[in-house]
Amino acid sequence: MLTTLATLAGLALAQQTDTTVPVRAGARLEVNNFGGEIAVKTWSKSAVRVTASHSSRDRITVDASEQVVRVKSESRRGPSQVVDYEITVPAAMALALSGVYTDITVDGSQGEITAETVQGTVKVSGGVGNVSLKSVQGDVTLEKARGRIDLSSVNETIKASEISGDISAETVNGDISLVQVESSNAEATTVNGDVLYDGTIKDGGRYRFSTHDGDLRVSVPEKSNVSVSVSTFDGDFSACFPVQLVGLKTKHRFTLTIGSGSARLELESFNGDIRLCRPGQLAKDKDWRAKNKDWDKNKDHDQDHDQDQEEE
Amino acid sequence: MSDNWTNRLSEYLDGDLPASERPALEAHLQGCGDCRATLEQLRRVVARAQALDDRPPTTDLWPAIARHVGVVSLDARRARRRLSFTVPQLAAAAVALTLLSGGSAWLLHRPSAGPPSQTTATRSPDLKYVGTYEANPKYAAAVASLERVLAQGRSRLDTATVRVIEKNLGIIDRAIRDAQSALAADPANSYLNLHLAQEMRRKLELLRQAAALAGART
Repeated sequence: MLTTLATLAGLALAQQTDTTVPVRAGARLEVNNFGGEIAVKTWSKSAVRVTASHSSRDRITVDASEQVVRVKSESRRGPSQVVDYEITVPAAMALALSGVYTDITVDGSQGEITAETVQGTVKVSGGVGNVSLKSVQGDVTLEKARGRIDLSSVNETIKASEISGDISAETVNGDISLVQVESSNAEATTVNGDVLYDGTIKDGGRYRFSTHDGDLRVSVPEKSNVSVSVSTFDGDFSACFPVQLVGLKTKHRFTLTIGSGSARLELESFNGDIRLCRPGQLAKDKDWRAKNKDWDKNKDHDQDHDQDQEEE
Repeated sequence: MSDNWTNRLSEYLDGDLPASERPALEAHLQGCGDCRATLEQLRRVVARAQALDDRPPTTDLWPAIARHVGVVSLDARRARRRLSFTVPQLAAAAVALTLLSGGSAWLLHRPSAGPPSQTTATRSPDLKYVGTYEANPKYAAAVASLERVLAQGRSRLDTATVRVIEKNLGIIDRAIRDAQSALAADPANSYLNLHLAQEMRRKLELLRQAAALAGART
């Protein structure tokens, strides 16, 4: 469907709209786009510039009040189908972006961000405060954000790097990768995919990573104080550094304490393996990679996609 | 997980254990690793359930959810509640977690639902349904309700979206079946109980999301 829309867009995007409106500090940008793209970048001016490529049958409206700048499109035959927006905003402006067959990108934001789409990717660089990114059928990618971060997909991967704050990431059929993370409260869970966490383990922090059919790789920095609970049904545990197991009931369920154990780290994989390493070691962990050759290839996941495309 | 104190851990956690018995239990905990582990698992269940309760509803893309959330006091939903597990076993607590979420989903999708009562939210689970989610009437009702909403709006969804949703529901169902099979062999396994509860919750969440999409323009 996206391909079809893109093709149609190429034929039909015959008109350009270019509008700039002044905004006050604290105003929010709201954009809803059925199909196409929403690309947001920032500048130092107290104004919002909206450029849009769209069909000549469509009309773009920019409705600016003190609190909200609302961007939408209308057509004489009902709602517009495909519009490509490029919007420039003050860096601190809060963003609420949504679409259906829409790719969303944000670059350089220093404000709150909500971005939600159904069939499309969400790719954000920046974000401060509440940062919530969701897609059903598209990758969700975030970098350089801080605050309360909520990342969600259903059928694709989630990747985040250089982020800090409270972090939640959830998908069903995809991998989750969280690297260069500074957090005292992080959770990542998937059903059919791997989970990678390479970040801090802070005293008193809570960390939970789980998958049903995949592997977990988690970094534990030296001198961490963390109580680690490991649970698996049919997987193995290993570590890049010496660990002492306590409360060993079976090889599939046990806890281990590192330092004072003040932080809590829960690791659960029903069918997969669980591995602890030091920060930065995970990517270089040759033993693990040799054993899990599909990690980088996302083999199973890609096969699913191939199958989808064949069916289409 | 089978000594005389195991069944008193939930009371202890809730602060309902008589003061006269607390020292004895605490002394027992010093020497019983199983009970300490079970108590820890119970704490995790409560923490997760409270975290679920705190999750605010999404608004922008999921208008159907927003519409239904409108009939529920957000403050009430966000208010942290003390969870009372009167059936004091870990497996039951794990299912309680799912029912809290499932119950919320069902309430959200009732056309004329009123605010959820404290009684509903803290109602204890029935132990006999542990590990057999299809037989659990509350969970089954929540799933059926959401599936009806989804079926009614299915024609408004793109076929690719429908296929993706069905595929992912299948993935979750497989995980549920795996957990159930494993539990059949090891019913006291706290990890498996929690895992099953998590996957059951996830199914409800995906159904709720899909039902909301079906109510939107896709």
